[in-house]
Amino acid sequence: MASTHNNFDFFAASEKAIGDTELRRKLANASGHHLDAAARTRAEFPRYDEEREAARRIKAEAIGRLDELLLQLKQRLETNGCQVFFAADAAAARNYIVGIAKRNGLKRAVKGKSMTTEEIELNPALERAGVEVFETDLGEYIVQLRHERPSHILTPAIHLSKEDVGTLFHERFGMTYTNEPERLTAVARDNLRSIFMTADLGITGVNFAIAETGTLVLVENEGNGRFSSTLPDTFIAVMGIEKVIPRLADLSHFLEILARAGTGQKITTYTNFITCPRGHSELDGPREIHVVILDNGRSAMLADPVMREALYCLRCGACLNACPVYRRIGGHAYGYPYQGPIGSILSPNLFGSGAGFLPFASTLCGACREICPVKIDIPKMLLHMRAKENRNHLKWPRGASRARRAVARFARLAKRPRTVRTLSRIAAWMIRPVVRDGYVRWMPPPFSAWTRTRDFPAPKSAPRRKPKSGGV
Amino acid sequence: MGAFVRVLASVKTALEGGAHREPNAHPGARVMPSAPVVAPAANRAALVSSFARELEAVGGHFTGSATPEGLSAQIIEISDRVGALTVAIGGDGSFDSEPVAGALEQSGRDVIRCGVTADEAARRALIERIARADLAIVEAQCAIASTGTLVVTATPARPSALTLIPQALLAIVRADRIRADAAEAIVALGAETIANHRVAFITGPSRTADIEKLIVVGVHGPKQLHALVLWPADD
Repeated sequence: MASTHNNFDFFAASEKAIGDTELRRKLANASGHHLDAAARTRAEFPRYDEEREAARRIKAEAIGRLDELLLQLKQRLETNGCQVFFAADAAAARNYIVGIAKRNGLKRAVKGKSMTTEEIELNPALERAGVEVFETDLGEYIVQLRHERPSHILTPAIHLSKEDVGTLFHERFGMTYTNEPERLTAVARDNLRSIFMTADLGITGVNFAIAETGTLVLVENEGNGRFSSTLPDTFIAVMGIEKVIPRLADLSHFLEILARAGTGQKITTYTNFITCPRGHSELDGPREIHVVILDNGRSAMLADPVMREALYCLRCGACLNACPVYRRIGGHAYGYPYQGPIGSILSPNLFGSGAGFLPFASTLCGACREICPVKIDIPKMLLHMRAKENRNHLKWPRGASRARRAVARFARLAKRPRTVRTLSRIAAWMIRPVVRDGYVRWMPPPFSAWTRTRDFPAPKSAPRRKPKSGGV
Repeated sequence: MGAFVRVLASVKTALEGGAHREPNAHPGARVMPSAPVVAPAANRAALVSSFARELEAVGGHFTGSATPEGLSAQIIEISDRVGALTVAIGGDGSFDSEPVAGALEQSGRDVIRCGVTADEAARRALIERIARADLAIVEAQCAIASTGTLVVTATPARPSALTLIPQALLAIVRADRIRADAAEAIVALGAETIANHRVAFITGPSRTADIEKLIVVGVHGPKQLHALVLWPADD
């Protein structure tokens, strides 16, 4: 898979991000906000765990019957008047979509937030074909204006402060600087209104595709997804093969948990059901609907019994908010459109071995598994992928092999308690001049690598290695 | 066609090579039961009050209830409050929208009626006119009490644009069509309706929290959402 995502230096990017205290403040603020709101909404909803179980059961069924459900979905969509295209990889999906734009002579595309279109790198392909592409989700609009990528699957501009957005709008639109979200949002609304009214192509993702009725379900808060799927004459929905659910009656279980897990709302502002193109006597709705159903590595995940469960993911974003690693390094450090714990699983599978380091970007604390509305066992998969990566072609970063040798040497030393005790005593005595309030604040190189960013607790006294008599 | 066969073949191979195949119908599988559209009368007051509370909680305005006779007067009052000079009104509901449209015109307002357009130019022109409306009025198919959600289906006389483009939206819902939760609303709506119409669940005014998690209302869709409950004559 030729992709600009590859050859990304996760270690350099995460190290840089950790040093950015302002970024950490913004991430802690935003993800904390989501987590608190989500915990409150869930506490008020006694049926939450029941709905979670039901949703998980339905996903297991859907993934287990994926072949028949995809066939049924295709047939129903076609009966409803939609055109269906199956894309084996990102390039096939891009080419198909660019082909529609060329054939229909389309010039202006409005997009709802869609990580799948980020995955296939659709925007640059459309732009090369002469189509203007406008991201219309406010967060996506902001990151597009900054020529950045989203840093969170749910809140793309989570890494920016209101001051950053104020400065951006001031520079790009010449408006008087303000950091008031209301005024900034009003400017975006006005700018995008005229674009919505003149766009000839709408593109969005899909949250659920109901096989039974051939219905695409799109959830959102702003209304930009509704605009994109209502006003332009041509509408293209892009979905992974895993988005299909069997029956209409299954949907409510997902609606009850999705927003509660992600943003802490009971339900999102809009849930859009899109089934058929505009009828003869109708005023609006697209004349043409294309549904692009993307494999791009997903069937390979399906073939691996451990990885299969990752296809249950609803993209709610909860595991990002809960992840101690994500909350410190932010989304950009991951280098791929899917970030955080679930991103560390999806990216290596969808983008290839360039992302092979990502499963190591986790403390395996299990917060992601706890919070996941469909209970995906993310830590188990991360371990599975680590093992696979180690067996295959893992290139450790510079210094890592030295660290491994050092650990091996320590292991040998630790088997000789008397030597350890003696060395500890010597170390404690040597350190004494630099101890302040129980902490070592400075050490000479190479130990300075630690004390530059953290204090080291000073040994209280000579460490004891032998248990006390009668002790445990 | 080639691509479809290829993708489906890889899915099939992946499933067959996998540890186990899920049974075709799991124990939780449900066939859509056909439920009556009308909610039992005993629950009605409780459902209306829950709907009102939840609607207000997401930034909507509950504007009380009306009888069929009092509907026009109440809609004019709401239009006054919103300061709406141009009102777009949708049809295809359970009540005749024409008397309401007439009353709005008599009150000195410009009224946009929705319906079939003659050609593409007229179609575009009507969308442009709706875009300039201060207020849109539609009847919701049903509502969800547990979340304060309005369920609106699109028809020729009730296009999607109505609930999306104007500055403010007033949705009218019959008291006997307020359902307890999303599952019940989907059953009440039925597969037939969903297969033939675009449907929107609308919960509060359009909103965003994309700038530092601060909630701003009215980013793309309506900035205000009002809901009025209509008590049918036989109640």
